[in-house]
Amino acid sequence: MVAAAAIAVSGQDGAQTPPLRQSLQANDAPEPGARSPRNASYDIEVRLDHAARTLTGKQTIRWRNTSAKPTTELQFHLYWNAWRNPESSWFRERKLARNYTAPLPDGWGAMDVGSIQLREPSGSMRDLTSQMRFIAPDDGNTQDRTAMAVPLGLSVEPNESIQVELAWTAKVPRGLARTGFIADDYFIAQWFPKLGVLEDNGWNTHQFHAPTEFYADFGVYDVRITVPSAFVVGATGRRTSRMDHGDGSMTYRYREEDVHDFAWTASPDYIDLARTFTHPSLPPVEMRLLLRPEHRGQEDRYFSATEATLKRYGEWFGAYPYGHATVIDPAFQSQADGMEYPTFFTGRARYLPSRTRQTPEMTVAHETGHQWWYGMVATNEFEHAWMDEGFNTYATARVLDEAFPDNRWELRYFGGLVPWSFPDVPYTRIDNDRMAGYRDNAEAEVPATPSFRYWPATSAIMSYNKTALWLHTLERHVGWPVMQRILSTFFERWKFKHPQPSDFFRIASDVSGQDLTWFFDQVYRSSNTFDYGVQDLLSERHDDGTYRTTVIVRRYGEATFPVEVVTRFADGHEITEKWNGLDRRAIYVYERPSRASHTQVDPRRVLLLDTAYTNNSRTLSPRAGDAGLAWAARWMVWLQDLMVTYAFLV
Amino acid sequence: MRFLCEGWRRVRSAPALLLGVYVLTVVLALPLAITMNGLLQTHLGASLAAERAAHGVNYDWWQEFSSQATGIGTTFTPSIIGFAATLDNISSLLDHQREAVAIAGVIALYLAGWAFLAGGIIDRYARQRPVRAAGFFAASGVHVFRLLRLAIVAAIVYGWLFAYVHPWLFLEWFADRTRTMAVERDVFFFRVALYILFGTLLLIVNVILDYAKIRIVVEDRRSVLGAVSAALRFVWRRRGRVAGLYALNSLTFLVLIAIWAAIDPGANGRARIWLGFAAGQLYLLARLALKLQFLASETALFQSSLAHASYASAPVPAWPESPSAELLRQPSQP
Repeated sequence: MVAAAAIAVSGQDGAQTPPLRQSLQANDAPEPGARSPRNASYDIEVRLDHAARTLTGKQTIRWRNTSAKPTTELQFHLYWNAWRNPESSWFRERKLARNYTAPLPDGWGAMDVGSIQLREPSGSMRDLTSQMRFIAPDDGNTQDRTAMAVPLGLSVEPNESIQVELAWTAKVPRGLARTGFIADDYFIAQWFPKLGVLEDNGWNTHQFHAPTEFYADFGVYDVRITVPSAFVVGATGRRTSRMDHGDGSMTYRYREEDVHDFAWTASPDYIDLARTFTHPSLPPVEMRLLLRPEHRGQEDRYFSATEATLKRYGEWFGAYPYGHATVIDPAFQSQADGMEYPTFFTGRARYLPSRTRQTPEMTVAHETGHQWWYGMVATNEFEHAWMDEGFNTYATARVLDEAFPDNRWELRYFGGLVPWSFPDVPYTRIDNDRMAGYRDNAEAEVPATPSFRYWPATSAIMSYNKTALWLHTLERHVGWPVMQRILSTFFERWKFKHPQPSDFFRIASDVSGQDLTWFFDQVYRSSNTFDYGVQDLLSERHDDGTYRTTVIVRRYGEATFPVEVVTRFADGHEITEKWNGLDRRAIYVYERPSRASHTQVDPRRVLLLDTAYTNNSRTLSPRAGDAGLAWAARWMVWLQDLMVTYAFLV
Repeated sequence: MRFLCEGWRRVRSAPALLLGVYVLTVVLALPLAITMNGLLQTHLGASLAAERAAHGVNYDWWQEFSSQATGIGTTFTPSIIGFAATLDNISSLLDHQREAVAIAGVIALYLAGWAFLAGGIIDRYARQRPVRAAGFFAASGVHVFRLLRLAIVAAIVYGWLFAYVHPWLFLEWFADRTRTMAVERDVFFFRVALYILFGTLLLIVNVILDYAKIRIVVEDRRSVLGAVSAALRFVWRRRGRVAGLYALNSLTFLVLIAIWAAIDPGANGRARIWLGFAAGQLYLLARLALKLQFLASETALFQSSLAHASYASAPVPAWPESPSAELLRQPSQP
């Protein structure tokens, strides 16, 4: 129902404004009867050798050129080669971020393509194996083998299709970047040679980078996974068959349409649980949860967070169309927690469960939400990571605020294993927008920089925190009804496509009916910070008993935003000024019969990006003495406790 | 249990000692608390944020303060609220987390203060009769250099435990053994086992040092190494009673922190902020009383075993008399 309204709105807007670009590429309209172009479809057979920790696979790719130009080569991602040697770009970036731990000797990963063959129009196969070469379009790193080009020896014209077959082997890494093994558990993602995206201006095939994720075309995935019989398997899509080979191995077949990735997991330990999400106006969703035995009892929390997100995202943005979703409770230290793949995602739970909503609810809601912002609206995560992570962080915060409003802060002690929640410290929507990390890194990047070029240590702050905060700011600026229409319109127009930032910006301006370029210039095309504040508040008494009140407000930051300045007087009278926030300073003078009480810049806190909100207000009856004394006293108890604890030693 | 009760009787009979160590705790914490007060007030300024902070947790402001804080300001976290402080501090000790320089300095001064007072405290508990302040400090003065020498021995042993054993256990061994564990429960219990192991090492050192202090004071020993050696012999030969008494005292500690966790008033509202402060002071008094209880009960155990009239030969009475000498002159005293 909500989605239908959004379509109507977008139609109206479309009539009033120049037509929007309907597609990134020339020929990526959905196939007849399909949701997506389905131009990169994979049939894969893979066998897991549990003892050797290897995968052996062969795959057939049917690929159609949806770009406007012909191409004479294919480009592939070989993601697992990021862990082939310590000189890969991925590891180099980890070192830059001071986040590098060498894998254990058996922990390295690798992907080796044994053969690649092109099916000729005649049906015969042409071997292209000798033509394969590694490429490093981002940094020229010759040690990096995560991207590969294969000349075809022919030109594939726009809308023309080809079929290639590959045989490959892969060494499963120990859990790294949301993939790998630990003990008997496998979480297998980015595990097969995967095509880049051919855009109108050429191949978009980035190397694997530490701070960014992925980008791929939509297709149909038909995958047969052979694992030891004792393993429980979960994967993208629906299971269509299961065959016991009688030799201790089992083959599971999964199929999914209109997705751009496929991941799977296998473990003998999973508890297989299922529930169905129902809603009066949204299609039902069969939810499958593969839960670790040690987290038994937390299944309700997993399911409730998934349902809360399916409901609200469905109502706000558009329905979840796949009819099923598989939620994985990953093994501890698998590095697979909190990750999204189409119809398949991982949560995070702890042995000593949190009494607050940080785990598993926040993680599960976030990864469920990625089915919209990443899964269906398939942005380029290499270049615009903020478009899925930021949108989703913003929307997840909204879900959590509605569905789990009593959230509280929690800290963990004793090596992070023992939780303690703070009933007096609310965990607000702004905390879910991740304000805390943003303050310290507000200037770290110009968000318009391609995400893979972000400084590795602060890239997440830009993609998640800053974006969520500016989207929430935009919501407070235009109002939720308009914001909801912006996002639902964006979703409706760009689901099963690859939108660019400009596509969102145009829709935001069109749907809101106001040119928001100035806003996106501030938050997206600049690294300037926002900081408005009150420089001074004076209230001088005249001889006649009236007061002259002078309010001086300042723009301390470089970025600008229109703000309200509200001054309240002792008699209860209140004056609101609309300041465009452009000048460095604004001065308001009032002649009033009573003294001023206080003044505030942006009292409704529309501008959540303001890095220092404490200076946004000033009162003539300050209470800093009371507050400082009270909290210093509480801090002193902590200090005394620390001293007495150490006194144990003497 | 007899010595636990006897220790408690001795603690109750000398409330000035409890007051004294409490005052020491306050006096040393106060300057930093005043500094923290200044930091908080400066950051709040004339902002309306102070209004909310004065009436409870204003976590918006709190996070903004934390993001710009340096030095002791970085310790102003939610962990200061109620029982979390206790958890945080025990965790900090067992996980060997580094403290801010100013805080480490205060802790060092506090431990030095305890080293100075320990002589007088044990002397008082051993004599079991009121001593004037002059007598208390005289006894402290007599024993201070011996106890400081013992403190150096303690620092070497604890330093070795924290600088070498702890990193080996918790960084190398723990990481090596748990890196491939897929079940958090296993990692949890492995870490608990390491805490027990490391804690036991600390307890062993602690109990030996306690009895070394007691032997220095009660037997008027000058040789610290001799006292440590004598303490080792004492603890080893009476390991059952020593361990039992230590366990009972430790159990009392666990009961005490459980009560603190249960009654923690939180910080929701101005009244509760101050109630939390008052309750925190009572809790700290109880912790300090328990710390004294350890010393008093161990002294009682030691005296009942060795420093009694039928065991020791009569020393030449000289001021300040050793507690043993005093007991020999008054054999009727328990």
